[in-house]
Amino acid sequence: MQDNWLFIGIAVVIAAMLPMLPIAAARILSPHRPNRLKNETYECGMETVGDTWVQFKVQYYVYALVFLIFDVEMIFLFPWAVAYDNLPLLGVIAGLVFIFLLLDGLAYAWRKGALEWS
Amino acid sequence: MVPVSYYVALSAILFTIGALGVLIRRNAIIIFMSIELMLNAGNLLFVTFARSFEQLSGQVFVFFVIAVAAAEVAVGLALIVAVFKSKQSIDIDEVSNLRG
Amino acid sequence: MFLTLLPEITLVVLAFVVLTTDLALDRQSRAFLPYLTAAGMLLAVIFTIVFALPGDKPQLIFGGMLRHDWLTFVFRLVFLFGALATVLFSAGWERVARRGEYYVLIITSTLGMMLMGASADLVMLFLAIETTSIPLYILAGFITEDDKSTESGFKYLLFGAMTTAIMLYGFSMLYGFSGSTNLYWIAGALMSGELPFISMMGTVILVMAGFAFKVSMVPFHFWAPDVYEGSPTPIAGFLSTASKAAGFAVIIRVLLTAFPLEAFGGVDWTMMMAIAAALTMSVGNLIALAQTNIKRLLAYSSVAHAGYILMGIAAASELGGLSVVFYIIVYLVTNLAAFGVVAVAERTLGSNDLEAYDGLSRRSPALALVLLISLLSLAGVPPMGGFIAKVLVFAAAVEANMVWLAVVGILNAIVGLYYYLIVLKRVYLFRSEEEDKPVPIPRPSAVALTVCLIAILVFGTIIAPWFDYSGIAAGALF
Repeated sequence: MQDNWLFIGIAVVIAAMLPMLPIAAARILSPHRPNRLKNETYECGMETVGDTWVQFKVQYYVYALVFLIFDVEMIFLFPWAVAYDNLPLLGVIAGLVFIFLLLDGLAYAWRKGALEWS
Repeated sequence: MVPVSYYVALSAILFTIGALGVLIRRNAIIIFMSIELMLNAGNLLFVTFARSFEQLSGQVFVFFVIAVAAAEVAVGLALIVAVFKSKQSIDIDEVSNLRG
Repeated sequence: MFLTLLPEITLVVLAFVVLTTDLALDRQSRAFLPYLTAAGMLLAVIFTIVFALPGDKPQLIFGGMLRHDWLTFVFRLVFLFGALATVLFSAGWERVARRGEYYVLIITSTLGMMLMGASADLVMLFLAIETTSIPLYILAGFITEDDKSTESGFKYLLFGAMTTAIMLYGFSMLYGFSGSTNLYWIAGALMSGELPFISMMGTVILVMAGFAFKVSMVPFHFWAPDVYEGSPTPIAGFLSTASKAAGFAVIIRVLLTAFPLEAFGGVDWTMMMAIAAALTMSVGNLIALAQTNIKRLLAYSSVAHAGYILMGIAAASELGGLSVVFYIIVYLVTNLAAFGVVAVAERTLGSNDLEAYDGLSRRSPALALVLLISLLSLAGVPPMGGFIAKVLVFAAAVEANMVWLAVVGILNAIVGLYYYLIVLKRVYLFRSEEEDKPVPIPRPSAVALTVCLIAILVFGTIIAPWFDYSGIAAGALF
């Protein structure tokens, strides 16, 4: 029991050291000569125009919601598909009904324009 | 194998963090995230017990909780957007007009 | 097994049909959607009575997920009736009358309630509660152009999601203590195990948080007035009747089956429920006195009524169960009538302030009469149904040696009578300048109001059959 925790402790220390060492080494070893160009956000690419904290368009969000719903339903279809060969007829029908209801939801989202990009 | 009581303690901590977040924070999105934390504290307990009893029912329960939580979040985000459109804020104290 | 589930299957098919019809039709012809919904629900009622009658012995169906007994049967009819009346009120409420998804959400929510009333397993219970709640969140915030409505939906969701999370945590602990998600197994495990009192009581409190939210029991009642005020009026009626009845159906089943009194040594949950009942009715009635908006007044009154019903649960006896079922049936028709009047009046008055109700009896005698009967029934005046219901819960409390609770209840009934009479005074005695403008009642609302009115009077005068049915339903628990 104690040993397990010892190893976890050592692992934590090593894991923390790995990123910290190079950062510290770079800080100490590298030459430090800043200028305006170097201090820009990515040192390359375009200057940002206006405030970076803009709001995303609302279309993204409807898309995201539709995706969220259908994505999560996958967790019920996956075991159904894997166990398909061994399922009784009733189980297969239940899965089909489930998919059918999902399709109905998709048809609704489609018809109401949730999938349009405008 | 890590004893069950460790998981129970972890889930109690998660639940407390979530509950405190709901009670203290005023930003609607953060309140939602705190509620998710509370739900996941319950999920963790279910999975832990399912493993220690060597049963499946607890794990199946978690499936359903995940799906339901997704639906709840979808409805919640939609309502937050609706509120934001009219009030330009999601601070639950600023949003609240119904009183009395 | 399929016959016993036929009412639920009917609702699923109905939801699909309504949604598809809505997509296929143009705006004008959508006006018939509420009638389609109502017809489908009527069909579900017929199927419940004809094909899904429970036998003498309660049976577990669907792999032990649902229990088919007389309690399930009675509550199915209660929920279907509540949904039917709500749909009819909505048909006359212009802002929602032609929205197909509105009816689909009501149907889905009703389906969830029916499963709540029958659940015998934690998984099913959780899913049923969420199937009920999530559509209700949307319905409360349905009118997106109205700030009040979105805000009420938002508040309802925040409170609901939080209490659900607490309840789920309780469920997970229950699973951990007993090793099963089936309520009847859990009862057995709790009886045989030597669980410390503190973990038993802690679990009861966690689990009760979710149920208490649904029935707006103190201290989980804060959402009720705000949500009722902001949501569409037919939905406010639905929330305060069918949704509340579903909460009570779950409370009596879970407390009486999963937490048998014998498993607790000495102090058990009856004391906790008795205190909650006393607090709930006192808080509801006292705050209702100060209200100037009729929807808020009815909201606090419905909190108070949750307190009366909790009295019957605290008694934890056969009479207690009977009184709960009887009270819920009477309260359902009475409060639906009251909210129906508000929904109809709102169209013409344009306001829910109590001042707007001045002189209503001269503008629409019929509407005023329905309000009179329903408010007097809520107050518990004979010969209305509310009187018998109150007598039964008080009797249950006395029988369970909780005389103090019955005394608190009687004092509360007097306070309640006072504020109901204030509303009626405005309706019948006050005058207003607009007395010559009548208040029209849409045809579907008139039908629903008439049925509720007759039911209130029948429950109050011909008591015996309803008393027997409630007894049979409650008997399924013992």
